[in-house]
Amino acid sequence: MYVIERESNLRHQVKVKPLDDEDYKEITKSRFYFNWKTERAHDVYKLVLGDEILGVMSCRHHEDERIEIVLLAVSKDNRGRNKKYDRITGNLIGFACKEAMKYYGINGCVSLVPKTSLRQHYMDFYGMEDAGRQIFLEGGSLLNILREYEL
Amino acid sequence: MKKTKLNDKYTDKELAESFVFRSKLTPAQKAESNEELSAKRKQLRQSVTPKEVLLSRLLQLKYQMEDYLENPNYDNTRSFSFFLKGYVEMLNKKNKEFADDIDINQTELSQILNNHRSPSEKVIIRLEIHSNKIIPAIIWHRLIEKEKEYQIINNSELRAREKSHVRNMVLI
Repeated sequence: MYVIERESNLRHQVKVKPLDDEDYKEITKSRFYFNWKTERAHDVYKLVLGDEILGVMSCRHHEDERIEIVLLAVSKDNRGRNKKYDRITGNLIGFACKEAMKYYGINGCVSLVPKTSLRQHYMDFYGMEDAGRQIFLEGGSLLNILREYEL
Repeated sequence: MKKTKLNDKYTDKELAESFVFRSKLTPAQKAESNEELSAKRKQLRQSVTPKEVLLSRLLQLKYQMEDYLENPNYDNTRSFSFFLKGYVEMLNKKNKEFADDIDINQTELSQILNNHRSPSEKVIIRLEIHSNKIIPAIIWHRLIEKEKEYQIINNSELRAREKSHVRNMVLI
């Protein structure tokens, strides 16, 4: 699993780990936009390059063999045209796919409820399937994400 | 107000590359959308190919192996043979058939599966090749290492036995 540094085009190995209690001090609203303390009831993960947190994601397991991405944000330095690293969000979504595959096998699914204006972008970037208000990855589309993010 | 700030700063494409926002659906809308999703998933499952099913099973096993290896605790039920049994069963193969696949004697396979023999390097390399590199040899190797590490740390009988072979112990 890697991110690409845009300036040098170098690949850097990254890891996704469960968020520790002390990380909440670091993932402030100014850097990660949301108040992440409200997510403590869910499974919250961080994508790290060394000790630096580049992205955070909150997930929820559902009984229908599905993981819902409830909230996701990359750090302030990694948004927009001046971002430092590429592939942060893809790696986090890829990690959710990996968890879905690990727990539920071929029936595993990753879903999210997109903002209307963003849904087509998620579908284009990550090959997500249309299910009305929600979009999702399962079967072939989920496997494609696992291939792309080298999981 | 915050949303407007984000919308002013970033394009929709950039926002999709950076965020998943919290759903604003009401519980009723959410329930309805879950039904829609369920119907779509059912439909999609009909087009899943046997190759995709096989790849998923392999990946599921690999991720479970990795998960166990990342866990610092030792679990004697999650041995090399446990995962190898899972691999053979997943492929719906009989032991003899699988032993032929990786060109080892059926007795050797049986001994490995029953924890009576440690697999050789050649076996774990063949397992990697057999899985089309989906499960690398290093993962199988680490399972053996984890077992060995636990035994070395906890084998008090061996320690007691070997003590008689040691003289001039360093005195600190």
